[in-house]
Amino acid sequence: MSAAKYEVGDRFTYSRECDRYRALYYAAASGDFNPIHVDAEAGAAVGLEGAILHGMCTMAWAVEAALTYLEDPARLKKVRARFSRPVRIGDVVTFEGRVAEISSDTLVAEIAARNQRGGEVLKGAVVEYSISDRR
Amino acid sequence: MTATLDPKHIGKRYGPYRYVVGVEKVKEFAFAVAGGIPSAAFGAPPEGLNPLFYDPPRLAFPTFAVTFAIQPFVAAVTDPVLEINVSSVVHGEQEFEFLEPIRPHDTLLTVGWISQIYEKGRNDFLIVTTESTNQNNRLVVRAVWTAIARRS
Repeated sequence: MSAAKYEVGDRFTYSRECDRYRALYYAAASGDFNPIHVDAEAGAAVGLEGAILHGMCTMAWAVEAALTYLEDPARLKKVRARFSRPVRIGDVVTFEGRVAEISSDTLVAEIAARNQRGGEVLKGAVVEYSISDRR
Repeated sequence: MTATLDPKHIGKRYGPYRYVVGVEKVKEFAFAVAGGIPSAAFGAPPEGLNPLFYDPPRLAFPTFAVTFAIQPFVAAVTDPVLEINVSSVVHGEQEFEFLEPIRPHDTLLTVGWISQIYEKGRNDFLIVTTESTNQNNRLVVRAVWTAIARRS
């Protein structure tokens, strides 16, 4: 794989909706049935406006966003993010990525993730991707 | 008022936990992330999903790691010795380092340890580091999990 395929400053955009059952489906797939994700009353009991999506699902969407541009999931080296604001049922999250750095073997992309109200749902989200010919 | 989390617990270890990666589980996880239903019976491949994840599954979606690597983190947060009010906990931050692809049929062993404890304002921060190794003794995923517990 040639690093020349990518350039610092390249951008990618992606969007995902947290539909009515998404947190339930993600709970089933991941095994995380914390009541705040599957029970609106449990969410309300801890001061939320209802059930919220798993931060890990939002992180997975950030990875999906990166892979729309980077393509090979086996080359993903690292992902990290802070879960700065809950994603509620019905929210639409838009991911805007930018290639921040390219070295001889690694591409680093920063990803902003905001809900439809402009609120940041992830902070400091970064993916690192191998562009080495030998992985 | 709930007591501050005691840093003497730093270094406490959890695991190993064994997990065998299921073929259908890999598919269901990818379907759920990509907007589908995580079921072979009721789910159809969401539009645009990479066939590597389902046709047939040859690779797990990278953050599939949560399904097995989370075990030491959950064990620490719910460890009665730490006296954390679990209902006050939020998952604050996450980092995964992927060293080998995760594939169906892999047998993974995950260990973890409390790597940091600190307080900030009225919150306690519990950081757990985990490492998952496959059947070839290769390190597959290193992860850092941050729980934030609000003191009442």
